[in-house]
Parts: sequence; structure tokens; C-alpha cells
Amino acid sequence: MAHNYRTDLWVDWCPGCGDFGILAALQQTMAEMNKKPEDFAIFSGIGCSAKTPHYINAPGMHTLHGRVIPFATGVKLANPNLTVIADGGDGDLLSIGAGHFVAAGRRNVDMTIIIHNNGVYGLTKGQASPTLPRGEKTKGLQRPNILDSLNPVALALSVGYTFVARAFSFDVKNTKDIIMKAVKHRGTSVIDLLQPCPTYNDINTKEWYEERVYYLDKDPTWDPVVREATSEESERKYLQAIQKSLEWGEKIPLGVLYQNDLVPSFGDRISDHITNYFEVPPSDSPIVNAEGQPVARMEKIFSDRLIRR
Amino acid sequence: MPLVDIDLIIGGPQGGGIDSAAQIVIRAFSIAGYEAYGIREYYSNIKGRHSYFHVRVKDSPVRSLRYPVDLLVCLDYESPFVHMEDVSEKTKVLYDEDLVNTKIEQVLTMEPETKKHIIERLKENGFETTLAGAVNYMKKKGATPYPVSFRNLVVAALGPNKPPARYANTLGASLAMALLGLPPEFTSRGIESVFGRKKEVVEDNEKIVKSGYDFVRSHNSVKVQELPVRPAKQKYILTGNEAVGIGKVIGGLKLQTYYPITPAADESFFLEGHDYFEPVMGEDIEAENEVLKNTGVVVVQAEDEIAAIAMAISGAMTGTRTATGTSGPGFSLMAEAIGYAGINEVPVVVTLYQRGGPSTGLPTRNSQADLLFAINAGHGEFSKIVYSSGDVPEAIEDAIRVFNYAEKFQVPVIHILDKNLANSFFLVEDIDYSRVKIERWKMGEKTENFERFKFTEDGVSPMGLFGKNIIWLTGDEHSELGHITEDPETRDAMMVKRMTKLQTILREIPEEEQVEFIGDKNADVTVLSWGSNKGVILSVFEKLKEEGIKANMVYVKLMNPFPSELVKKYLGGAKIIIDLENNYTGQLATLVRQNCLIEIDNFILKYNGRHTTDDEVYEGIKRILEKKENRVVMVRGA
Repeated sequence: MAHNYRTDLWVDWCPGCGDFGILAALQQTMAEMNKKPEDFAIFSGIGCSAKTPHYINAPGMHTLHGRVIPFATGVKLANPNLTVIADGGDGDLLSIGAGHFVAAGRRNVDMTIIIHNNGVYGLTKGQASPTLPRGEKTKGLQRPNILDSLNPVALALSVGYTFVARAFSFDVKNTKDIIMKAVKHRGTSVIDLLQPCPTYNDINTKEWYEERVYYLDKDPTWDPVVREATSEESERKYLQAIQKSLEWGEKIPLGVLYQNDLVPSFGDRISDHITNYFEVPPSDSPIVNAEGQPVARMEKIFSDRLIRR
Repeated sequence: MPLVDIDLIIGGPQGGGIDSAAQIVIRAFSIAGYEAYGIREYYSNIKGRHSYFHVRVKDSPVRSLRYPVDLLVCLDYESPFVHMEDVSEKTKVLYDEDLVNTKIEQVLTMEPETKKHIIERLKENGFETTLAGAVNYMKKKGATPYPVSFRNLVVAALGPNKPPARYANTLGASLAMALLGLPPEFTSRGIESVFGRKKEVVEDNEKIVKSGYDFVRSHNSVKVQELPVRPAKQKYILTGNEAVGIGKVIGGLKLQTYYPITPAADESFFLEGHDYFEPVMGEDIEAENEVLKNTGVVVVQAEDEIAAIAMAISGAMTGTRTATGTSGPGFSLMAEAIGYAGINEVPVVVTLYQRGGPSTGLPTRNSQADLLFAINAGHGEFSKIVYSSGDVPEAIEDAIRVFNYAEKFQVPVIHILDKNLANSFFLVEDIDYSRVKIERWKMGEKTENFERFKFTEDGVSPMGLFGKNIIWLTGDEHSELGHITEDPETRDAMMVKRMTKLQTILREIPEEEQVEFIGDKNADVTVLSWGSNKGVILSVFEKLKEEGIKANMVYVKLMNPFPSELVKKYLGGAKIIIDLENNYTGQLATLVRQNCLIEIDNFILKYNGRHTTDDEVYEGIKRILEKKENRVVMVRGA
């Protein structure tokens, strides 16, 4: 019997929350991948979206505010054969955890980061998140937001993410397809996942998004993939993605904006040096031998500190 | 009394090869069959500021240092000034005569506060505030100056085209060892051991050694007695940083994360240089597994300490022996995640090298002021182990032990050391592998519906891991399955489960691994201490014994949970207890007061960041015993 990726917990998000669609898309992706549930590791930060791992019947880690990326990274480094997905809110990933978000782009660990982007901090009653534009006054705010918003897609592109996409949580089917592509990408993939917060964001509602979003791949000439390892090709695809990232307002593009499979993942970079890194990952590497004694010996490893006579 | 027992200081500019000079001295003496020990003192600076190595050479085991020194080698214009108090009638002072007219105002590298203090002292004693004045000051204290022109000696040896400054360290070491009477072939071998056997380098250095020895021989006033060569064992030369790295690797470290910080980062650099090696698998396995011919340690430089600890925590939950290393400021950033490891019962090791605080404090200087912080790091209440090491052999063994503790009890472990240990050099032999035990968790069997946090008698649940079981971890209070719960009864039970481990730990860790009681049972004085002062205290005990004063030491290693009963037992019969630490408040004494209800009245403390030496500990004990003082602050060190 196929594994059921739902746990039997009551999902405690507000009715109409965008998180439901993301959860469903994730569960469907995982089911379609035909892996054992213990081959996955699902991570989250803090906030509403952070409850996601508890609703998925697969190994999960609900971590600290802002730290979902390094926690997810640690598991992947220790066991590169696991499929790692990190869910974080927009505040989690782009404010308190922004440093990690930047570092992850440079590292290119083979994992997927999903930004639950709803413009507000829901669980603390609707403060403005880094993606809420200046001048907007959502329900929870005393006065209009006085900070400028940042552009998650452009930020991700500028710090080296090798797969950047955008999805909309109420379109579960297409979201699932985008998550699947992201998970299969060898390197860090990031999805700017637009979602309404029906309780605190009364501006970017379901209807607001539905009037604006469109899929880039409806245009048959749209090709976000870097296909040659030339600087000309990668620059062209990069600039095309940056340009699309600026499109926001009347029209909001969805789908894969940029994909470069030619950059070695962090694991590949480690295996340049530790050549059996994937075959014998740190998690499965023996530390004692048949006699129960440590396999690592001073004279074999640290002989450079021996004073030779 | 040992026949050979020499303290020397080699001082020079940071980046000027002081380390190499000290390495040459230690290695040369080791090859000649002597024991040696040394500490590096340096500024937070890359090039130019004054750094020095304090080394002691003995014909019997050595693990402490003394002032005044027997030999002061000044490779820069700052050394004669800042070390002028470190000498006595027994001291030979080697300095560059070409710099003798240097006025103290011209010593640009010296901090104004230091300058002011030295000027005052020179003036009070009627000396000029020049390098010559400083030399005369030392002469007045009975020291014998040996002026040398470094430049002339290098030019004479290598011709005018080689930069003299580059050879200051080998020349300084050669002169030093010539003055100490070590036969020149050992000096050459010491140099070769440091710089390798590249032909041109060896040739140049041979000439330098010869010129150094010739100079000393030609000096009529110098009478040097040649030191006997002793049977030598082959040894490793290791710092505390390296010892921890070695212990971790032998203990099975597979993932180390870190963010650069002094003095912790040296351990991770060292690991990066030794991260791929041939394991000893035993014959059967070797034949079968081609892929296991080599094995690696993944060392990752994270974007900050928060990321470093986060990666280490989740890495540990795959069954990988995982650690991170840091110092005060980085450890402060890790506090929240340590609480996460606590509530999730994660076997992660954090190596904490203390340095002077608060804040950036004294970034490159010693301290033992983070003990209470380490114990209390992380909000809320949870079980964690804080374990201390005091010397290199201990650090190797303890780095293995703390992995065992972490996994057996499923708790975060803070392995606490200090800068003195991190940057001191010890000579050690290979470890006895038959004594090394690797103990891990009990693994859970089930994949699904697995209770990672199952309630048990001793608080320790069967382990569940990423890649093996379906587990959930959360920083929230959770059920046995690992899902969030705010149910009051479950909360109570989980608190009891986690806190019960403190008793389990005290019950299961052998007593001798918790506290060491060293010395006579019926002693006149008992010293309570921890960390890198162990060697100094034991060395001073030998001197006290010669005077008929019996002393013992209660040396605490397990700091949390605190071994109250054991410490009570050991301190119970004490006549006079002295707490000796490198901090202001006596943090170990605070722990003893809090846990054992024993009030400690006498303190010998040091918080100027410099290493503790025999002479000041001896003086401190005497002042407490004879003059009835109860708080002695040690202030030595440049």
C-alpha cells in the first residue's frame, strides 16, 4: 500500500489559509516520488508555516526562528542521500534568517527552500513582513508600512541560487509540478510561494492574486534553463529572470524563472576531495572496526605532528 | 631537583616567525631527549605587535611555566622593554645591539598604556627610557646581557643579499640553544623538523646555526656547559586545539561546523588539513570494502555561529558524530540553539575555548570566565553536560568521551577549555587504543509510529534518526511522538523525563571522570580548581612538599550536572580550601557554594589574560597560609 503522507493531526491553520495548498502540493509531490518516507527530511522555521512538518508523515524538524536553512543544511551534509525540503515564512527566511538565505545561494546544497510569502507575520498578529510594500496598511497594522519591501526572486538570483521559481498556493496542481521540478534540481532550489493570509492580509487576497497571476510557460518560447556553460548563455538567462522578477502589479509571473544545472552542488564540491562522500556519507561511515576499536588512528592521520628524529 | 630545568622567552613581532623559533626549540630539545612545554601569547593583530613564546625545558615531565626566566631572547625592539620584569640574576638576555639606542617613544608597536608604565618604572629607577636603559634595568636585577648584531651575523653567514629579518627566528633559536648548551646538531635537526629538508633552506639554516654557535663560542665571557643528550622517545608536538581535533577524529567525528573565531578556529583549520584518511577497519572488512579504503571528515565553514550550531544539531540527528567549536562571542550566539538541542535531546558537541570577555574583551588572551554561562546557556531548564579539560592528553581523551556522553545520554555537551590550553604546546606519545571506548545510544527499532521521546525510567529514550525512522523534532513542548503539545500532564512528564537525565548522568559517568582528587589525603592545604591551571598547581605542590607543606587538589571536570556529593566528600576533610581560577568571581567556588553548601573563603585569581605561572601560584598559597590573606590576584605576564 502506498504510504500515506498525512498525519492524523488536526491542521490548525485559519480557514482559507494559503498554507493548506502548499501542504497538499508537498504531500502529493512526495507521494509521486515513490521513495520511502524516511528518505525525506522536511524542515520548517517558526510561525504558521512552521507547523508543516508535523502534518506530513515523514521525518521532520520544526526548528528555530530564522534558522530553517542551516538546520536543513546540516542533515543534507551528514546524509546527502536524503531529499531535503525547507519551509519558511517570508519573515523567517528574508528577515531574521536573511543571512542564511544569502549564504545558501552561495553554497548550492542540493535541497529545496519554499518561501511561504504572505506579506505578514501571522502568528504574532499581522506585523509587516519583508515582502509587504511600503505604504500598504494591512488589517493588523496601526499605520501604513514604513519599510520598503524586498524582492525575493531578485535577491535569490543575485546570491547565486541555481533554481528560482514562483508559485501560487491556491493552484495546487501547478504548485506541485513546480515543487517537483525544484526537488529534482541538483542544487539549491527556491520557490517564492505566494499565499494569502485571510486573517491579517486583506490586501493580497486570493482574488487579488487570481486576477494577476499567469504562467510563464504558457509562452512556448519561454526557456529559463541555462543550457550551455558559457558566460554569454548564463548571463542571458540570468538577466531575463531578473527582468521577470521586476514584473509585479498588473501581472505576476509564475513558474520557473531561472534554472542552472551546470553549477556543481555543494555535495559535488565536497566529493571532489572526499571522493566516496556519496557512497559512504558521514551518517553511514563506520567509526569503530570489527574489534570495536576506533578506525581513525593518530599515526595514520596526524604523523605530520610527529617529531621525526 | 632536576638537573635541567630551563624557562625561556622568545619575543618578537607577530608574523616574525616567533612560532617557528619556539617550535625549533621544543623540537630540538625533544630530539635530544628532553621534555618541553610552551605557551604562545599574542595580540589580536596579524603583523607587527609584540608576541612571545614562553617555553620550559626539563629532564622530567613538564606542564607549567615559571618567572623569572633563565633566558630572554629579544628578536624585536619591544621585547627588552616589556619583559624587563621577567628576569633575575640567573637570566641571560640576548638582544639586538643595533637597536640599543632605540627610544621607547620610537617603539611604535607598543600600546601607550604599556609605554607609560614602563617609562615610569625606568625613571623611578634612574634609567634612560631607551632600549639600553631597559637592558641596564635588567642588569641591575642581576641579569647578564648578551648584545648581538643580528644583521651582522646573518650577513656573515649568508652574504648581503638575504634579508636579515627573515632569519631572525632561526638565528635567535640557534643563539638561544648555543647559550643553553644544546649540541648544535640537535638545533639543526630541530630546524629541519620545522622547515623540512629542502636543500637550499637546509643549507642556509646550517650556516645560520653555525654562525650562532660560533658567536657564543667566541664570546670569552660566556661559559656554556654542554647539556647531556638523553634517550629520546618519538613524540607528537600538539597544541590544545590540535588535541581536541585529534580526539574528535579518533572518537568518530564526521561533521564539524564552525565560524572563524580566535582561539577556536585553529582546531577547525587543523581538521581541514586532516580530513581524508585511511581507516583501520580490520582485515575482513578491508578486503570486502574497496569503497572504505578512505574516509572523510566534512568540515564546513558556516555563515555564522548560529548556522554552525544549527547544522551540527541536525547533522547529529542523522547518526553522524557532529561537533562545532567556538569561543565566547560565538557561543553567545549559539545559546538559543543549545536550548533547542536540549528540548530535542540531541547528542551534539560544542567545544568552547574561553577567552577574555565580556564582549570581544581580550580576543587572544586567556580566561575561565564562561563556566557559569556555559552551564546556563539557553533559556528554560534542560539537561546538558558541561565537561572541562586541562591539558593535552586530557583534551584528546575527553574529546572522545564527550561524544560518548552526548550519545549515551542524548544531551548536548559543552566541552569547555581555555585559550591557555588551546595555544600551549605539549609533547605526547600515541594513545593506547585498547583504552578507547566508543559508546553510543540504544537505537529504536520501529520506522513508523516511533516514539522518539518515549518516557523511560532513566529519561533516555531509544534513539531515532533521520534516514532511519520517521521522527519529528520541535522546539515546542512535544508528545512522545515529537508533535507539539501544550497538554499540562504531558508537559510535566516531559520536564521530568528530561531533567531525570541529570541524575542518570551522575550515576553512570565513573567518579574518576567527574572529579580527580590528587595528592595527600591529609593535607595542610586543598586547592580547588579546573582547566589549564592543573599543571601549574601540581608543579607548585612539588615545591611545597620540599618545604614540608602537604597539599592536595580537587580538580573538577564534570561541571554540569555538578558532582555535589563527590566534591563534598573530597572537600569535607580539608583544613584550608583555596579556589584557584582565571576569572574575577571564582565561578567554580560559586558552584561549590550553590551545590555543596560549602563556603570557600580563599581565592587565588587571575584575569589579566596571561598564563598562570608557578611562582605566582606559590606566592599566592604562601600569602594565604602565612599572611592570612584571602584574595590574591595574580598579575604576571607581558
